[in-house]
Amino acid sequence: MSHASMAEIIEPVAVIQRTRRRPRRRAIASSGLWYLVLAFLAVITVFPFFWMLMTSLKGPGDPIYSTPPQFIPTDPTLAAYTRVLDLLPIPRFFLNSVFVAVAVGALNVLVAAMAAYPLAKMRFPGRDAIFYALLATLIVPAQLTYIPSFILAVNVFHYYDTLAALIFPNLVSAFNIFLMRQAFRGIPNDLLDAARVDGAGEWRIWWSILLPLVRPSLAAVAIFTFVTSWNDFLWPSLMLHQPDGLTLPVGLAALQSMFVSDARGIAAGVTITVIPILVFFIVVQRYFVRGLAGAVKG
Amino acid sequence: MTRKRSITPYTFLLPALVLLGIFVVYPIIAVIYYSFTDYDIATPPVWIGLDNYRHLLEDDTFWLALTHSFVYLIVTPILIFLSIVLAIVVNRRLRGIHIFRALYFVPAVAGSIAIGLAWRWLFERSGFINSMLISWGVIDTPVQWLATPAFVLPIAMMLTVWAGVGYYSVIFLAGLQNIPEELYDAARIDGCNDFQKHRYVSLPGLRPQIVFVAVISSLAALKVFDEIYVLTNRTGGILDSGVTMVFYLWQQAFQRDNAGYASAIAIALLAVTLVFSVFNVRLLEGGRGEEA
Repeated sequence: MSHASMAEIIEPVAVIQRTRRRPRRRAIASSGLWYLVLAFLAVITVFPFFWMLMTSLKGPGDPIYSTPPQFIPTDPTLAAYTRVLDLLPIPRFFLNSVFVAVAVGALNVLVAAMAAYPLAKMRFPGRDAIFYALLATLIVPAQLTYIPSFILAVNVFHYYDTLAALIFPNLVSAFNIFLMRQAFRGIPNDLLDAARVDGAGEWRIWWSILLPLVRPSLAAVAIFTFVTSWNDFLWPSLMLHQPDGLTLPVGLAALQSMFVSDARGIAAGVTITVIPILVFFIVVQRYFVRGLAGAVKG
Repeated sequence: MTRKRSITPYTFLLPALVLLGIFVVYPIIAVIYYSFTDYDIATPPVWIGLDNYRHLLEDDTFWLALTHSFVYLIVTPILIFLSIVLAIVVNRRLRGIHIFRALYFVPAVAGSIAIGLAWRWLFERSGFINSMLISWGVIDTPVQWLATPAFVLPIAMMLTVWAGVGYYSVIFLAGLQNIPEELYDAARIDGCNDFQKHRYVSLPGLRPQIVFVAVISSLAALKVFDEIYVLTNRTGGILDSGVTMVFYLWQQAFQRDNAGYASAIAIALLAVTLVFSVFNVRLLEGGRGEEA
């Protein structure tokens, strides 16, 4: 937490110092130019979503296709949304996605933080071998494992067509272990030794000293894993088939084939599914960006 | 550092190692075995030796998929270049800059299926691109963008770039903010203009980030699937024009019940990924890698 609050205190001061240094008029002109560039880039980024939203709201009187294109519906209606919601249990897909992504995110943090502690802070036979073996798994494309994993799901674990099939194979990621190891390495050994002198066991040290100190990294790992799981498509599409049991991306793909000739319906479906993750992103943006930035520091 | 011999380190590692063993190590071994068998998932595999690999060498679709996957790697330098440019653009203190930075990140969190559908709708015969181009007089009749073999892969690649630039630029932005301000001051005193300043200070300073993004984005490019799936409506495109290695793997394993053959494709994918990773690391850490 201390990092965040320091930055918040320092940043506005830096802003004042910087803007004072420059001649005012030039600064305004050049920042106007930059706003133009930024707005142009924002249009490129947002336009496909905007076009979806507008298409989804178009009423019977609005053409889907016209030259020139019609941007704003003159006859807006939510009919496409009711159509989609009547046919597909999207709230249910939403809950399924939340359940899977929360479980995968939280358990990944636990497993990665556990595995990272000895790799970062203990010396024991086989440590380097284990670490390099972990790194090697990063190179293996997940898709390569899907055929055996499919057979495991059907024949061994019997979780085919249940949400558990999306959770268990995704509980561990070498990348997350690597990130947590980096975070732990930043903590001075003296702190741990002091705790050991006071008689704390390794589990106690891990739980009461290390974890609280790396909370931002824990949050970053959790959020990243959450979003990856939320957007995962190929594996879920192999596992999930019953109409109530889909996650949002799999449901969207189903929607695509059910509403082939209904552009408004597809647009409405996409809009409904994108909004929750956008709201989530806005709320956790700070951790997201910090986690991504911190991942590369080496 | 603890030196005493105990099982504690291993107990911390146990859950991760067990899970990786079941869901990564075992599948790799199994897929190697399946690649030597005739297997349709429903009935037990039958050993056929190298037949799958022999077939692979003669399979035009496989070579096409391999070519497409290599072509797809072009997104990596484009992504690196555009992401650095975007990072430089947003690395300034302007009121509301955080809102713009968040906006550019939106495609990365919206999910590949959702953004794929959004793009598909733009490039549809009755989509926005056609109606815009016709009203500007660039074309007379609507173009079947996604039903034209030459366009499928480029559109998918544009989609990947569009979705990735905001994401990777966050990494470069953090890198830029770690470069000491004094280096830029020194460059200015030495008479560098804005472009030279970024060429001689920003680029070398961003080296770790460039390596990271090059590795991550090229591995992702070799594994592209979702974009193709959505844009071609799960067909792979006319004349397999959008089929990539992972798409072909999926098609063979789960659409055509050739899990044995698909396993051989998976091994080929692994081989390509390995060779590429070694190449990547050599190129970028060898000290002579000139990126972007």
